[in-house]
Amino acid sequence: MKKIENRAVVCLLLAVVLAVGMGFFLLRYLARGGDWASSAFNRHLYNSQGQLTAGTVLDRDGDVLSSAENGERTYYDSEAVRKATLHAVGDLQGNIGAGALNAFADRLTGWNPINGAFGADRGGELTLTIDARYNYEAYQALNGHAGTVAVYNYKTGEILCMVSAPSYDPLHVPEDIETNDRWKGAYVNRFLSSVFTPGSVYKTVTLAAALETIPDLENRTWDCAGSLRIGEETVVCSGVHGEQDIAAAFANSCNAAFAGIAVELGADTLRKYTEKAGLTASYSVDGLAAARGSFDWDLTEGRLGWAGVGQDKDLVNPCALMVYMGAIANGGRAAEPYLILKTKNGLGFPSLPRWTRKTAALIDAGTAETLAEFLAGNVEKTYGTGRFPNMDLCAKSGTAEVGEGQSPHAWFAGFLRNEDAPYAFVVLVENGGGGSSTAGTVAGKVLDVMVNGYEK
Amino acid sequence: MNLTELLAAYPAAGLFYTSFVRFLFPLLAGAILYRAVRSLLRLPHTPETWGQLSLPGGGSVPLTHWENILGRGKSADVRLNYPSVSRQHAALCRNGDGQWTLYDLDSKGGVLLNGEPVEGSAPVRLGDAIELGGVPLLFLPQTVAEQEEQGKLRRAERPAAMWPSFLWLTVFQLLACTQLMVAAGGDAHPAVPLSFLGLTAVMWLYAAVLRLFRCVGFEMETIAFFLSTLSLAVTASSAPGSLYKQLLAVVLGLLLFLTLGLFLRDLDRVQRNRWVMAGASIALLAVTLLLGRAKYGAVNWISLGPLSFQPSEIAKICYIFAGSATLERLFRRRNLTLFIVLTGVCIGLLGLMSDFGTAAIFFVTFLVLAYLRSGDFATLSLICGGAVFGAGIIVKFKPYILSRFASWGHAWEDASGRGYQQTRTMSAAASGGLFGMGGGEGWLHRVPAADTDLVFGMLCEEWGLLIALFAAASIGALAFFAVRACRVGRSSFYCLAACSAGSLLVFQTCLNVFGSVDLLPLTGVTFPFVSNGGSAMMSAWGLLAFLKATDTRENASFAIWRQKLRSAPPG
Repeated sequence: MKKIENRAVVCLLLAVVLAVGMGFFLLRYLARGGDWASSAFNRHLYNSQGQLTAGTVLDRDGDVLSSAENGERTYYDSEAVRKATLHAVGDLQGNIGAGALNAFADRLTGWNPINGAFGADRGGELTLTIDARYNYEAYQALNGHAGTVAVYNYKTGEILCMVSAPSYDPLHVPEDIETNDRWKGAYVNRFLSSVFTPGSVYKTVTLAAALETIPDLENRTWDCAGSLRIGEETVVCSGVHGEQDIAAAFANSCNAAFAGIAVELGADTLRKYTEKAGLTASYSVDGLAAARGSFDWDLTEGRLGWAGVGQDKDLVNPCALMVYMGAIANGGRAAEPYLILKTKNGLGFPSLPRWTRKTAALIDAGTAETLAEFLAGNVEKTYGTGRFPNMDLCAKSGTAEVGEGQSPHAWFAGFLRNEDAPYAFVVLVENGGGGSSTAGTVAGKVLDVMVNGYEK
Repeated sequence: MNLTELLAAYPAAGLFYTSFVRFLFPLLAGAILYRAVRSLLRLPHTPETWGQLSLPGGGSVPLTHWENILGRGKSADVRLNYPSVSRQHAALCRNGDGQWTLYDLDSKGGVLLNGEPVEGSAPVRLGDAIELGGVPLLFLPQTVAEQEEQGKLRRAERPAAMWPSFLWLTVFQLLACTQLMVAAGGDAHPAVPLSFLGLTAVMWLYAAVLRLFRCVGFEMETIAFFLSTLSLAVTASSAPGSLYKQLLAVVLGLLLFLTLGLFLRDLDRVQRNRWVMAGASIALLAVTLLLGRAKYGAVNWISLGPLSFQPSEIAKICYIFAGSATLERLFRRRNLTLFIVLTGVCIGLLGLMSDFGTAAIFFVTFLVLAYLRSGDFATLSLICGGAVFGAGIIVKFKPYILSRFASWGHAWEDASGRGYQQTRTMSAAASGGLFGMGGGEGWLHRVPAADTDLVFGMLCEEWGLLIALFAAASIGALAFFAVRACRVGRSSFYCLAACSAGSLLVFQTCLNVFGSVDLLPLTGVTFPFVSNGGSAMMSAWGLLAFLKATDTRENASFAIWRQKLRSAPPG
């Protein structure tokens, strides 16, 4: 009998499995319960059309972007604002997964792991960090192009402006949204969930690597004859830049010079700096996972040349690029971006104040300072300071080739060094043409409103 | 003024009631279960004693089981630390009628009974002299003084009175019933109040009748009645029409529990019927395969007119009955061949029915039983390896089986397809929080199989995570009890049966709970006692009888013959 008594321990083993499994479920429940509850089929929070039945979304000034009346969801009065804030607020059908109505339904309704959805029909308030006005300006500036505009405060992390286009009016969803190419990717928040060929904005990373790796970089010159033959590839330049130092090559966005530098650095070094810059990482914006950039480093010298100027298989996520710009501005480490300014549950209890979290060092502090000067030089030499009044702007444009017969993507990314406007930004205009001319203009319009104000 | 009018006059009254009682339910559940579980786990208690062996150097060793191994080894029940005694030298076993048999377990030193060598086995009487490897022992009854002393001790360890738990459970049933009626806006199905009332009555009636027979331990019944209450609560939400049926299932389950318990009293009778039970388990499964119809992909239902039931649920009881064995049998037939054949046939039949959840339950129960019987890790590892290999072959030839489990761990990636049930369960569970949305206030019951396979989600949604955890934990407590009860068990048959029944209940709970929240593949097994379903309810109560039969506390269990005081010394 004693033998059997000893063997009976296997029975306890199963009880332990039950306990461990339960513990695991509880951990998951705590970590993801909010997401589970925020499913459009959850009738405690959503009506039968999948619309969130309670909760108000506001912008940082307190403008009501969406609220529920009698179980029906309403939006801001102006159609233009509805379109400009669609990807931040979310749609009624749950197609825009990254929108607040879908992604933050738990916090919007006051769901919590203790009380569940009980009383959630009273609805809470969720204040976003974005300003509807800035979004409106940015959406207007995109002027019908697909793309994205985002600006955030690199010291606090607040995302002030986040627009993705094409966008549509959530109250009048276009009937041909699934079929017409005009609405291609309208459900996607391009800022968070897409990756694009970076083109010349990527030269910022190449330059950061070169500044730390090539000792006599600032004493050397590069001679640009309009193209550079590397192995089997010919890296073509936008013009014939002649003899130039590194600052001029950067301001000219000289492909020949930077392709040469990339080859000199080698794939391993470039990869190291790209990863350090966070371009292959996924940022979590209040729990929304941003897309991960990707690069192919297993390539020939010629392709390495192209990769060094942001072509080849390079893909970056706009959010990651914006944070990298913020890190250059902020001595190597930027604040992590977020979207929820504050919340208030159904009983009126406010959320705890947020504290700023910083990224890892995306770039060394000294290099960041030097790089900022180069970026400021770009504005001075190439883009023109007159286009950006009252702004201590540091920026890099990009014109990313995306295939035969298509206009290139236009990029403009950078930051302000103004004390009272510590903003980093990214602008992408799909098939927009020249980076500085198209995307730079969009950035200029948005930043102008943010820095110099607007007529009320 | 009835409830309907009250709710019509004061619409806020219902909400007020719900927001109040939802905090009360976990407290009540805690009060109900704490007493029962604490009392169950306060084992081991003073064991029963059936005789003693006096040792050559003076002193004696009490025999606390019906089956005792004598030897030098650490796991011997009577340890004789003499070099001439083998590790497992002899066994001294008692049958239900009080007749003892002495077995020589192939010892080196040999066994003498009253000076005569014992070949294999020989009957022993109290007062006989036994010699193991030259060590003389005297087999004696306990003296009257010892018996009285021990009786006093055992009576002092009376199990905790369960009437407070029953009282709390009655309050729980009353409040839950009211909550369900409030949730229905006072317009509830008449079965809701009647079935709850019925359950309360059945529960008190059971306690009263057993109390008449001087039974005192009601811990397991408390747990089972609590879980059955949850079952009614869940059914009231999902299918109020089948509440009477569910109540009937509780009553039938209770009767099965009593019958099986009384049947288990007589070990000889049990031994004689093991073959019958083995045949019954195969027959039940075979009949299902022949006559059954498919429901949710598995052919495990038999319909007779308006009644439908799952014979595989009852087959579980027969299987454990057949698989457990006395120590005597374990000596005579050391290998597991027949048992393995029985298991293979059962699992094969279940596989043909595509009832993989129940097949897994049988396999785990087999592993537990086989390990308890043989203690042979190597063979069992081999069997496990063989099972994995066999499963691999089946999957290779019938790959569609695997596709049923394809969404496992990825439920959210296919939330409206294969992950439909799991994602609904998780979403509903998260909506409930710790205290639930209130009974009858959920939506998960509209999802297919919500009150059976996904019942954990319904518990979480309507009654709260705390109640759901209590429900799972109380099943775990039963397994703990089974293990600890082994120390004072009469025969190894009861220990094996209790441990395997406990393991079965726990494993089935694991499959049900973890399947519904996507930690395991969703296999469609029921939560013991809680899921809506007559056969499952009866099976759970039946399995409880095996646990009841190991409860050797004084007067605690109707499934155990009371020990008669034997005052006359042997002649």
